[in-house]
Amino acid sequence: MFVVRRLAVSFITLLLATFVVYVLVANAGDPLGDLRTDPSPNRDDKIRARIDDLNLDQSVPQRYVTWITGAGTCLVPGGGCDLGKNVRGQDVSTLVGQAASSTLRLVLIATILAIMVGIALGVVAALRQYSGLDYTTTFSAFLFYSLPVFAFAVLLKQYFAIRANDWLRDPRIDVSTALALAVLSGLAWGALLGGDRRRRWIVRGVAAVLTFGVLQYLSAVEWFRRPSLGPVLITVLAFAVAVGFAALLAGLQRRNVLYGALTMAAIGSVAQFAVIPFLEDRTWATWTNIALLGLLTIAVGVGVGWAFGGLDKGQAIRVASLTGLVTGGFMVVDIMLRSVPDYSRSQRGRVFATVGSNTPDFQGDFWQRMLDLSSHLVLPTISIMLVSMASYSRYARASMLEVLNQDYVRTARAKGLTERTVVVRHAFRNALIPLTTLAAIDFGAVIGGAVITEAVFAWRGMGRLFVEGLIQVDPNPVMGFFIVTSVAYVVFNMLADIAYAYLDPRIRIS
Amino acid sequence: MSTTRPPSSPVPAAPVTPADAGPVAAAADRPGTQVEREFTIRAMSSRELITRRFLRHRGALGGMIVFLTTIVLAFSSIGVAGIPGWWGLDYASPATVVEGGRMSLDVMPSFLDGDGLAIGRHPFGQDDIGRDYFALTMRGTQISLMICLLVGLLATLIGVLIGAAAGFYRGKTEAVLMRITDVLITIPLLVIAAVLGANAAGSGPVVLAAMIGLLYWTTLARLVRGEFLSLREKEFVEAARAMGASSGRIIVRHILPNALGTIIVSATLTVAAAIILETSLSFLGLGVQAPDTSLGLLISSYEGAFQTRPWLFYWPALFIVAIALSVNFIGDGLRDAFDPKQTRVRA
Amino acid sequence: MAVPDREREPAPTGDGTRSRRAPRQRAEGPLLQVENLSVDFPTEDGIVHAVRGVSYTLTERGVLGIVGESGSGKSVASMAVMGLLPKSARISGRVLLEGQDVLRMSAPAQRSIRGRRVAMIFQDPMTALNPVYSIGDQLAEAVRSHEAVPKRVALSRAAEMLDLVGIPRPKERLNSYPHEFSGGMRQRVMIAMAIINDPDVIIADEPTTALDVTVQAQILETLVEVKNAVNAAIVLITHDLGVVAGLADHVLVMYAGRAVELGSTREVFTAPRMPYTAGLLGSIPNLDTQGGRLRPIPGAPPSLINLPPGCPFSPRCPLAIDECQRTEPDLYETDLRMHTAACIRWDTMADLPDPRTIFRPTAVVP
Repeated sequence: MFVVRRLAVSFITLLLATFVVYVLVANAGDPLGDLRTDPSPNRDDKIRARIDDLNLDQSVPQRYVTWITGAGTCLVPGGGCDLGKNVRGQDVSTLVGQAASSTLRLVLIATILAIMVGIALGVVAALRQYSGLDYTTTFSAFLFYSLPVFAFAVLLKQYFAIRANDWLRDPRIDVSTALALAVLSGLAWGALLGGDRRRRWIVRGVAAVLTFGVLQYLSAVEWFRRPSLGPVLITVLAFAVAVGFAALLAGLQRRNVLYGALTMAAIGSVAQFAVIPFLEDRTWATWTNIALLGLLTIAVGVGVGWAFGGLDKGQAIRVASLTGLVTGGFMVVDIMLRSVPDYSRSQRGRVFATVGSNTPDFQGDFWQRMLDLSSHLVLPTISIMLVSMASYSRYARASMLEVLNQDYVRTARAKGLTERTVVVRHAFRNALIPLTTLAAIDFGAVIGGAVITEAVFAWRGMGRLFVEGLIQVDPNPVMGFFIVTSVAYVVFNMLADIAYAYLDPRIRIS
Repeated sequence: MSTTRPPSSPVPAAPVTPADAGPVAAAADRPGTQVEREFTIRAMSSRELITRRFLRHRGALGGMIVFLTTIVLAFSSIGVAGIPGWWGLDYASPATVVEGGRMSLDVMPSFLDGDGLAIGRHPFGQDDIGRDYFALTMRGTQISLMICLLVGLLATLIGVLIGAAAGFYRGKTEAVLMRITDVLITIPLLVIAAVLGANAAGSGPVVLAAMIGLLYWTTLARLVRGEFLSLREKEFVEAARAMGASSGRIIVRHILPNALGTIIVSATLTVAAAIILETSLSFLGLGVQAPDTSLGLLISSYEGAFQTRPWLFYWPALFIVAIALSVNFIGDGLRDAFDPKQTRVRA
Repeated sequence: MAVPDREREPAPTGDGTRSRRAPRQRAEGPLLQVENLSVDFPTEDGIVHAVRGVSYTLTERGVLGIVGESGSGKSVASMAVMGLLPKSARISGRVLLEGQDVLRMSAPAQRSIRGRRVAMIFQDPMTALNPVYSIGDQLAEAVRSHEAVPKRVALSRAAEMLDLVGIPRPKERLNSYPHEFSGGMRQRVMIAMAIINDPDVIIADEPTTALDVTVQAQILETLVEVKNAVNAAIVLITHDLGVVAGLADHVLVMYAGRAVELGSTREVFTAPRMPYTAGLLGSIPNLDTQGGRLRPIPGAPPSLINLPPGCPFSPRCPLAIDECQRTEPDLYETDLRMHTAACIRWDTMADLPDPRTIFRPTAVVP
């Protein structure tokens, strides 16, 4: 009822917005501009054809009505979708259909990643206020906030793609680079894990040495040429994740939860010998199967959690399921990594792609196609992510700091709860609430960023429809873009509202 | 050795931070007090307090310096609107391309195989048709600065007007204004700006700035409305009304000064966002267009030459980042100055 | 750190009956002994000496009222006992809970005491509860963080506690959220949360300051009932002398981070031996006085960063002499038994018929 009302209001708002945009675009110049200076003999025919296609003989409001009635057919299930034609006479709805999937893919992945990493960084910075990590995250946030997306995208494109691809031809890490990376890694781990001076130096030292060793090993074994995770690493990671989730969500004192998670990790480590070959097989690699395996993992997680949970069954189930899913994720990563050599060969050594959202007419199996999509996604996603991440980390930090000063956090401590429980269960949960509002606002910025990034990386996405449509004074593709993005925006807003209501009981309507 | 003195300094009017107040004045008029202890507090007005806090924020201070330096550099170097500058070359005259358009700026000391600090004729190099890139960059900076400041100003003015009206008068006014705002908010900023940019194409940067500013006020309007909504419930508004103040007077003299902090901070951040927006638009070809130039346009024009002449990318990018970063820091400093959070405790 | 476990009756049914818990075996001696507690905070402007050598003793079922102005250090001292001060605080002295020094304990040991043997109730009930969890969840959490019991057992004990503090329909209210309660009710919930683990000491930091006067009386009554029900001692921190008069057996008056008077409530109120206490008592408006002006103590407390030498109250004290500004007086024993005061002229105070009059401008001060 609340939801229905909101939807109705959003719908009307959307309608009005479409009118505003349509009028603005239609007036942005002369749609016949390029044709007027056309020297070809059938110029007048072309002009007449375009007038016909775009109804240019009608006034702007009339054209809008024509368009909106056409767009209305999209809402009717089964009916065709008439979004008009573009200046070249192509059907806009077909174009939109093709473009939307790639753009939405980019936008969604970038948003999810930005949220996860940004909030994590912001929260950790708040917990370690005034530390080196805090200043670094704050400064980086400022920097990325002030960096235009296009500049960063261009930079990434030139450096990363070309240099990285070149390096992949002969993927060795020389000693000085390895040393530099080791030092950086040491500093990073020291900052993340915190603690007193002595402990930080130990962490830094250990991390640096480990990193150096790992890098040298990888270089010697030419891992980058034939990457994979391997069963040993997957097992180690599975157990590490189990301990990590148990520590974070329940506290290591809750042995039940820990044992459940560890059991899950063990199951996963054994299961990989069946799951990986299963998924690698061409015939079995489909999205449906992956989803089914995911559900199976959750079911097993529920079972294991229930069995081990004792007094904390709910928590045990959650931790076990998460461990299982993440371990499954590692298996998927392993398969994809092992497909890299074939992919690289098909791309003539250029693994990181800089043009387009996928290789046109790509022939390859499921995993090759996944890899193709991923490699084309990497750079654009990073470009968009960074600005969003900056926002999220700043707001998360501010929100967390504010919450940590609240009385109820003091009450929680006075009850004798562990610091971990106070931070995760009490502070973090409350700090998330204002972030949902940010998510809704930020999505608009992400869409804008996507337009720019698509231009830089030459994607045939909605962004291109939009930009080209504007330059050619062609309202229909622009409206197509607008419709899709604003529906996405409204949906996202609605999700944010629901999340808000879920997190904050004060605004729920009884 | 007893002396009698009247009680010392008045009670401070503004909230006094620990840094400002010395030990509190002691009333020393007791018969029997042997030693008087007299400490004074100097009452500071809020404006002084705010300025003081702002100046303590190192980032904001640095931002101010960088921003002002950039403005001075950009406008004085090549001049503007007919007034000549101190840089000999202008941005529009093609010339022969010297040394492949390389930068003549050199900061490497001679023992590291450089020429010491040399500026040379073309410190930022030259573009494809031999125009001096330093002049081009300065011109681009000028235009970008003009646009973002203009946009900031317009957007703030309109946003404050609309937000104040909506938040104060409520009722129908608010409903109508907020619906309009909502409609505009549904359209992502880039989309709006791009569409307007296309409309303004060829009419010059001022028109572009005006058009963007005319529709960029939505976030500010919402913010101001929120502030007004809460401020109008405060007791001092009731008191003013009881004394017969008109609505206009209440808004201008009572509510607005209290909302000023949020407004100024928002305006500053809008300026920073505007420069990013404008350069992005110009990059896409929807903002400033030839014959004018903009930092974004420079980057897009010479993107292809990155492998061989990367400085054509780096200099404009540097200026964009410098301006945006400094303005963002100023905004952050202002935010801290108007609403300080806890003071730092050295552990 | 073996703490003898309580003997418990079988889990209560949660239908409102107050279960009788067997009294704990306690060690001999006072329950809580604070010795020379000092707390310093380093700040940008210097070190703030918030608490400077406070000592007091609390016996079983005793009620100690700690009185003082804002900035006297009363809250900070109690937070130090609980271990709730920020890491930057420098704490010295001893806090002996049944003979064991809490300040020297490891963090996990301190945590196991917090909320279980020493509980705290804070000042503002409107913000003291987490708004996103139901009060049942929050109460159950208090139980389960110290004892491994299933959730429904914890919830039923929670319901029992809610009943004890006088909240109607406790079982239904377990699912309510804090914003559905009034201020007084929330403070009752806080009291319930404090006693749910049968603490030995309850520290109540200005529990009624944020509440209406009518509700104040109810809350204080609830506190007394609760104290008797769980056999706890109470440390009641307040600036309201009326509250202290009604509830406390002993009073500790604090000024500028130190204890300046300590004694039984009756004696301190009727025969104060420290001018500050007299000033406090004299400043209470009295329904009996006809007309006349309110009599605050002129001046303001000193800064805790740069304390001048000598007694910190001397600038405002009508009895001050040269000696007062040379050295800071310790708590001297007075003529009355178990009543100490930090004033070198306590005997002059003892001779005054009505010590409260020394602050009147017309007073003739010896």
